[in-house]
Formats: sequence, C-alpha cells, structure tokens
Amino acid sequence: MSTIGLIAVDLLVAVAGAGTWLGAAVAASSGRARATSILAVSAVAVTLTRVAVVAVLAGRGWWFVQEKVFALPLVVLAGTVAAVVLLTRGVAAAVVPLYATGFAASVGVLSPLLTGYPLGLGQALASLSVVAVATLVAWRVTSRSTVPITRLLGAAVVLGLVGVGLEALPASSADGHGPIRTVVSDLRGPSTPAPGGSVRRFALAAQKTRVTLASGAAVEAWTYNGTTPGPEITAQEGDLIEVTLTNVDIESGVTLHWHGYDVPNAEDGAPGVTQEAVPPGGRYVYRFLADQVGTYWYHTHQVSSEGVRRGLFGALVVRPRGDVAEAGRDAVDLTLPVHTYDGIVALGQHDGVQEVTVDPGTPVRLRLINTDNQPHRISLVGTEFRVVAVDGYDLHEPGPVGGAAVRLPAGGRADLAFPMPAGAVALLVDDDPTRATLRIAGDAAAVDPVVDTVGWPELDLLSYGTPAPTPFGPDSSFDRDFTLVLDRGLALVDGVPRFAQTVNGLGYPNIPDQRVREGDLVRVTVINRSIETHPWHLHGHRVLVLGTTGSPLWLDTFDVRPGEVWRVAFRADNPGIWMNHCHNLDHAREGMVLHLSYEGVGSPHAGH
Amino acid sequence: MTLVMRRVYVVVVGLLLASGVLQFYFAAVGAFTRPQTDDAFSLHLLNGRIFPLLAVLAIGAAALAKAPGRLIGLTSVPLGLVILQTLIIVVGNAIGGATEQRTTPLALAILGLHAINGMIIMGATSAVMARARALASASPAPAR
Repeated sequence: MSTIGLIAVDLLVAVAGAGTWLGAAVAASSGRARATSILAVSAVAVTLTRVAVVAVLAGRGWWFVQEKVFALPLVVLAGTVAAVVLLTRGVAAAVVPLYATGFAASVGVLSPLLTGYPLGLGQALASLSVVAVATLVAWRVTSRSTVPITRLLGAAVVLGLVGVGLEALPASSADGHGPIRTVVSDLRGPSTPAPGGSVRRFALAAQKTRVTLASGAAVEAWTYNGTTPGPEITAQEGDLIEVTLTNVDIESGVTLHWHGYDVPNAEDGAPGVTQEAVPPGGRYVYRFLADQVGTYWYHTHQVSSEGVRRGLFGALVVRPRGDVAEAGRDAVDLTLPVHTYDGIVALGQHDGVQEVTVDPGTPVRLRLINTDNQPHRISLVGTEFRVVAVDGYDLHEPGPVGGAAVRLPAGGRADLAFPMPAGAVALLVDDDPTRATLRIAGDAAAVDPVVDTVGWPELDLLSYGTPAPTPFGPDSSFDRDFTLVLDRGLALVDGVPRFAQTVNGLGYPNIPDQRVREGDLVRVTVINRSIETHPWHLHGHRVLVLGTTGSPLWLDTFDVRPGEVWRVAFRADNPGIWMNHCHNLDHAREGMVLHLSYEGVGSPHAGH
Repeated sequence: MTLVMRRVYVVVVGLLLASGVLQFYFAAVGAFTRPQTDDAFSLHLLNGRIFPLLAVLAIGAAALAKAPGRLIGLTSVPLGLVILQTLIIVVGNAIGGATEQRTTPLALAILGLHAINGMIIMGATSAVMARARALASASPAPAR
C-alpha cells in the first residue's frame, strides 16, 4: 500500500479507536454492562490494529509516525488500566479510566491533523493537559458524589499553558549569523557578455491590462508590457541579458525572478531578501550571463500567489550559440507556457485549439512551462516523442515515448521533441481535448488522432534515459544534511497563528535558515506528510535527484507528492541568501518558505 | 452563575447552529462560482475552521453550565463529526486514488459522504440546541 494510503488507514483506525473507547465509556456510565464489554473488546482490537498500522508506517520513515509514538502509548497505557479495572472491579469503576482512554485516543486523532511533525515537548504537555481536563470533568459529571477536582483541574490547566508557552517561544537563534563579510546587494551580475556573446536588452513594464484570450474571453490581468504571458526573453549562450523592470500601476509592487536560472544573488528578484519590491514609478535593472541553455521562465516574486496567477510571468529561452532554431530555419521550436486565467486553461494565449502547420519530417521542439500552482499532465497524441530536457537540463539518451503522459510540476518545464509525422499531432493538457490544445498538422486535411489519454500512465522520469557520470551521487560524503518535513498544522505565519503549510512544524519566518559554507556539498531530504502535492523549489541552484536509475535529473522544481520522500543534492557554489519554498504559491503564502543562507552573507532588506 | 452560564451555553450553541447553516450556504456559493477558481470555496474553508472552534467552546460552556453528563456528551458530537468531515476528504482522496486533475468513482463515492455527514452534524447541533434551551428555561440548579 502507498504511504499516503497507510496514513489514511491510520487516521480511520484512530477515529474508530476514539469512537469505541468513548462509546464504551458512555455505555459504562449508563450502567449497561453488556454494551460496555462489547465496545471495550472492540476498542482493544482497534487499538492493537492501530499499533500494527503505525509499525508498518514507521517502516516508511520515522517522520510519518513521530507524533503517534507519543499519543499511542498513552492510549495503550490508559486502555490497559481501563480493561484491568473493568475485569476486576466492574463497570461502574471503569467509567473514568474508559473516558481517559477515549480522550487520549481523541487527542491521537487530532495531533496528526493539528500539530503533525515534529511533536515537541510543548505540544505533548498541551495534549496531556487536554486529556487530563476532559477526564476530570468527566469524573466530576459522572460521579454521584461531589469530587474535589478544582486543584487537579488547575494543575492540568497550568500544564497546558506551560505547553502552549513552550510552543510560542521564539526558536533559539542557534544558527547565529556570524560576521557579515558580503551583503546581498553586492552580489551583482557581470556587465559584459562572454567572448563572442552580445548584450540582449529588454524593458519590462508591469501594468494592469484587460487581456483578451484567443477565444475572446477577457481577463483583468497583471502584465509585463501589456501582454500575458509577457514578452519571451531569448538569448544565445554567452550573451549578457539586461532587463530593465519598471512598474506602472501594480500597487503591491513587482520583481523579476528568473525561475531555474542560477543568477547572482542580487539579480534573483526575491523581495525583502535580495532587493526591495519595485513600487509604482520604481525601477530595477537585472543583469546576468546566459550561461545555462534551455527553457526557463520569469515571474514576479512580490505577493507572487496573486501576481503570477494574474499574469506577471513570461518565458526565458536560451539556445546554444549558432542553433538553427534561433536563425529561424527548418526546425519548429514553440514555447508553450501553461497557465490558468480565472479558471480558463491556456497554452500561451490560446485557451482553445491552436492550429499550427508543419511540413512532415521537420524537427519539432515543444517547450512546456507550467506557470500554475498545480501540476499538469501533458499528453502528445499522434506521434512518439522524446523528453529531451527537463527544467532546462538535457537528459541523457532519452528514449522514444508513446502512450504515456508527462507530468509537469508547478514551475517545472519539459522539452518534447519529435520529427513531424505525416498525420496530425495533438498536445493535450490534463487529457482534455476540449480545452487548451495544440494541433499540429502537415496539411489542414489531416485527420485528427482520436485517442482517450485518460488511462495513459505517467512517464517515470526517475528511470527514463540512461545513466551518465555526475560530479557527485548518493554515495558522496556530504558536508551538510538537511531534512524538510512538509505538513499542515497550527503554526505562526508572520506572527499570526494559522492552520499553516509547515516545514518541520513551523511557518515562515520561524523556520530556521539552512546554513551552508561556500563549496559545501549539501544533501536535502524532503518528506511530504500532508495530503497535498508540494512542488519544491530552491532558488539559485539546481539539484541532482539522488537514486535515479535513468538519466541524471538536475531539477529546480520537483513534485513531492503525499507520502513521498525525495533525496536531492547540490553544490553550494552561488553565495547569497536564497529562497527555498513550495512553488504552489498559495502554500508559500501560508508559511511554506525558508531560506538557504551562506555563512558571511547578510541582507540589508526588511524580510530577512 | 450557573444561570448565566446556561444562557451563554444557549448563545454559543446558537452561533454553532448559525455557522452550520452558513456552511451549507457557502458550499452552494462555491459550487455555483464561475470561473471555478481555487478561491471559490474560500468562505466555506474559513467557516469550516470557525465551526470546530465554536464546537469546542460549546463543550466548555456545557460543562460550566453544569449540564448533565449526557448533554455534555451530546454537545461533543458535532465536534467529533466535524473531524470526520475532514477525514472524509483525506481518506476519500487517498484511498480513492484521486489525483489533482482527476477524481475516481471510488473517491467520489467516499467524498459525497461529506454532504450526508454535514446533514447529520446539523441534526446533532439542532438536538443540542433544543436541550440547551430546555436546560436554560428549567428551574435553576440547586446551589452547591
């Protein structure tokens, strides 16, 4: 069974446990001996089942069960007492122990939902306090005589307050910043291109614009230069890209982040970290070398959950020097950002069927970019194809793919290539031929391939292509080892208590920085305990996925699905302070953001 | 004191009932919102967090109002059922094998129970309301 399946089964069994223990307690307090016995026996059986489920889940990783290893022994202990009392002293005497077990089991249901990983001392004390208070009240209410519970109740409440206090304390600043030798704003890009390259200048003005999609649907968009997607920024390897950003009327401010491009820190466009957001009337110039060939994209990083959704993004494509596609001959090379505008899915600006005519035999390259918060499934009907690059990085010996869909994580890219066949080819988003679709045909009369792609399996990139040497791998010795457990729970986000998207139980900005020294080889383990997918995105570095059996995978965005554990590694070779966050930008807003910071680097900006 | 707490208890349960009614209203708002964006159900989600908080307050108010054990137990039923509401979503998606893009018939069969359980929650909350009012209008408890 999948790990997320086990997590779900565990929750079900936990609820059944709480229900049966509480049921037994209610039956006992009404003096119904037979019902009490039946429910208590069921409760014991359910509890033993839960112990078994948790044991199996523990085999998938300690992170999945840590908080249960506190609550479950409490249930087992209280349940044993209740069972012994029930057997030796009868139903009436067992009422309070049965209630205590029921309350402990209820806390066992709530703790994975509300606190998750890791359950700290404070949360453990608060949980104990809740069980104690509820049990004392049940004791008072069910006993015929007056029981003096006031002092005990007071003690239990104090215990709970101590627990809450421990949780609310600011995290220890053990990761003290040390002396600052470099400030972020000094980490600028070069001002001259590489030998043979030229300077590519662009000007982007952020503004509110009413945009009309191909179908005629109008969208109140936020745009760069009045279009969404914004102008495609193209360059050849070795060029210097210089982009002047201005802001016409986006009150909340804008920036440009070069997604997947390992630019110098001050060019990264992370507001509050590498620069201040550009206000209306403001301006910021970005300069960096086009030293990574492939498909990338840019987007605002200020209030990005709203800004990107409304249209502040565009493609960044860097081709090898002298590439034929750049010269516009022979090959067909299409950049296709997938975006959802107000619920309407579009490929570029086409929210319906987009027709392209291509002569048979022509090499075709489709550069897909997922600019949404959710993953998309891309299916290509009518031809076999190769996934030649993922996140801008060329795969090693990619084989032909047919009858399988490519999953694009939020923020991720994939380049699909094929020679144009005689018949028509269709590219579907999320298996839906009625929505944004690209139809490529040799001539207009070509018959559309009619295939239902819903049942197509997903191409497993972890085993796609063939292995090739990498500068480091799973067996390397790592200088730093970080673990990020992603979950949902109660946490402070910007100082406000929320039902947050958490990393190691905390929300932004309380998640400790990942501190590295320049040159460190860093391994990161990312675990998803929640029921939502988290597309993980580290700025300024591409990470190597450890444990692949196919081509090496160098990614800047990888989907950690519910129950999954990903191990990735990177060389800390780009000094600065970098955002490290979930690229479901709504999740980022709800707390799932931390920083990777290099020793000796400081930021003058407010957000850090 | 007890008399005041019994009125407070009625008020809290009244708020709980109102939150429950609003939850159905917001579900309809979400279902009929076009375009069907991520924000369509934001009010339903927000109120869905307020309901359990009110449910916890109601249990506390019942205890302070010196309600009989049976009524305190009944008052905790909405809280238990609302936790079940969340579990229906979690379990439905995980065990039903649904993905971000596509639900499965099994997942939908489980997820549909969200509405049925919602009706049961309203029934239980109404029952609590009736007894809370009866308690408040009954003769004051003997002083202890």
